[in-house]
Amino acid sequence: MTTVKTRNQPVWQIVARREIAVRATDKSTLIGTAVMLAVIVGVLGFTAWSESREKTYDLAYSATVSEAMVEGIAERASDIDEKVSIEPVEVADEDAARLALEEEQADAYLRATSDGWTLVSLEEADSDLRDVVDQAIQEIVLAGNAQAAGTSAAVLTEGSQVAFDQIEGDSELSAIRWIVGYALAIVFYFASIMFGMTLANSVVEEKQSRIVEMIAAAVPLRQLLAGKIIGNAVIAVGQMLIYVAVGLVGLSLTDFSFALPALSGAIGWFVVFFLIGFVVLSTLWAVAGALASRTEDLQSSSTPITMLLMVMFFGALYLDGIGEVIGSYVPPLSAVLMPMRLVEGTAAWWEPIIAVVLLLAFGVALVRLAERLYSRALLQTGGQLSLKAAWRLEE
Amino acid sequence: MLEVSGLTRRFGEMVAVDDVSFPVPSGGLTGFVGGNGAGKTTTMRMIMGVLAAHAGTVSWQGHEVTREDRRRFGYMPEERGLYPKQPILDQLVYLARLRGMSTAEARREISALLERFGLGGRMKDPLEKLSLGNQQRVQIIAALVPAPMALILDEPFSGLDPDAIDAMADLLREHARDGVPVVFSSHQLDLVDRLCDRLVVMARGRVVTQGTGEELRADSALRYRLVLDGDAGWVRDLPGLHVRDVSGPEAEIEVVSPGAEQKLLTEATSRGNVLDFHRVVPRLSEIYREVTA
Repeated sequence: MTTVKTRNQPVWQIVARREIAVRATDKSTLIGTAVMLAVIVGVLGFTAWSESREKTYDLAYSATVSEAMVEGIAERASDIDEKVSIEPVEVADEDAARLALEEEQADAYLRATSDGWTLVSLEEADSDLRDVVDQAIQEIVLAGNAQAAGTSAAVLTEGSQVAFDQIEGDSELSAIRWIVGYALAIVFYFASIMFGMTLANSVVEEKQSRIVEMIAAAVPLRQLLAGKIIGNAVIAVGQMLIYVAVGLVGLSLTDFSFALPALSGAIGWFVVFFLIGFVVLSTLWAVAGALASRTEDLQSSSTPITMLLMVMFFGALYLDGIGEVIGSYVPPLSAVLMPMRLVEGTAAWWEPIIAVVLLLAFGVALVRLAERLYSRALLQTGGQLSLKAAWRLEE
Repeated sequence: MLEVSGLTRRFGEMVAVDDVSFPVPSGGLTGFVGGNGAGKTTTMRMIMGVLAAHAGTVSWQGHEVTREDRRRFGYMPEERGLYPKQPILDQLVYLARLRGMSTAEARREISALLERFGLGGRMKDPLEKLSLGNQQRVQIIAALVPAPMALILDEPFSGLDPDAIDAMADLLREHARDGVPVVFSSHQLDLVDRLCDRLVVMARGRVVTQGTGEELRADSALRYRLVLDGDAGWVRDLPGLHVRDVSGPEAEIEVVSPGAEQKLLTEATSRGNVLDFHRVVPRLSEIYREVTA
């Protein structure tokens, strides 16, 4: 009989390597990643492009009174909004203006009325155009009225300036914090569902194809579970890092790049929470896979965990104030809420540390529970098992 | 030698396997037979440690079997399958690595076996692209790498075509000849008859009989077959015999009191010509039917 060398490589590593190799060469994973990257690059690219784009509007007029006003608006446009310029277009009368609008030779038509002006457009006019026209007309009319009253616009509006000053932070950064926080919650939610479903599928695949009995005869199921979760997590985190990196590089090319230094620490924490939260939820997905007997059962056996994810997701969206603070410590909700609070800048430096410890403790307890359910349910091939039935099974 | 002693397993109130003991000696094939639900699969799962035993032990070379020992047992479960979408070489290497082999060695051994089974050109094909017979061959290879210390095969012949049955039989004999204890379950009694040195018969969770072919035959009553040139109905009247069957000039009898068969022969020759008189050696399948009846 030939002797076989037993290498000292732990079994979970062999399992994890197979998971990674199978997933990394899987077409749907590769296509999914490419599509997601295209979306991120597309959104950021569009934002950067539309921010820097100069917009020119063709503004039609017919009467002589209108001509002076339209030219006045064109003159002032770049002072009001530097990315907007106005091109006056002369038309014969109102019918001609209407035709010009319909044929898209003009973006809007300015008409004098008895008590002011009307801006006519085919559909709702761009807000940029409306703002410029509105503000320019007010300035011009005010200046004219002031002159008629023997004074000047500057005198009339003197003392009416209102400035805004906030003691904490600045408003634009707050908005970005808010958006990034929600974006992270969404990323966590979708990544958990996507990778969780894949993991549950690969568990049920082994059960359905019956290969699991041969694996169970060779290695402890705990090692199989660990290998599958770690392999899956490596792929997920790898993909996440690519997205975050591309997202950050993209963001640095837009006008929002000023927000990056303030957010980089929080995003680092996000990766930590993501990793732990992801692994904890993965064990539940593996249990969902083990409870099913066929891929078709997966929908119903994974319902409890999709419910949990919904609670986490909507908790992240709707909790605020004291609720948000409490939620940011309660596992597994903390995996989403604490990074959001960090992005919002409302958490002190020691808060994420406590939340991580709590999340880890919760994770260890849950993994033990999940391991028992997983290893008992895995060899039961007669239909879908309930959680209770799986718990009561003997080895 | 692999030895099972006192294995017991209950599922709720039902005792699926009740105090089952038998040896699987090296150098021979042990056939494991019994109807559906007799407890064969449960016993084999306990031997492999996939299912925990409520009582009893499995020992290997005199000590209680360890996980490391089991890693080197070739196992073919009753419900079997592999990864449908993974290339066959890759998944066989993976399974061999789980059982402690290095990648290079696993590749070498598996490639050689795939060649032997005529699958040398299909190593990179996913399993699902293979015919069912070829998938079964891949499954067999999975049990044979790394070179097994013992083979525990649950229904290895089910679903095989006649050629594959012969190839499988050769393979099992080859391993048995090399000193590997082999136990396999089967419903095909003629096959068990042809292949096995030992037989373990289970019914309702218990071993009802076991032993080598000779031992089992020695336990059963002597049987003779008689062919006359006239009607044989009169044999029913002789003492010390149990008549199994009479039809026209032919009769099959079982000896109840030793020597009764000689009196039968004397009586027969005095009545006319005896065309045939010979001892009937029962087939294992007949013994099986008797003990499980």
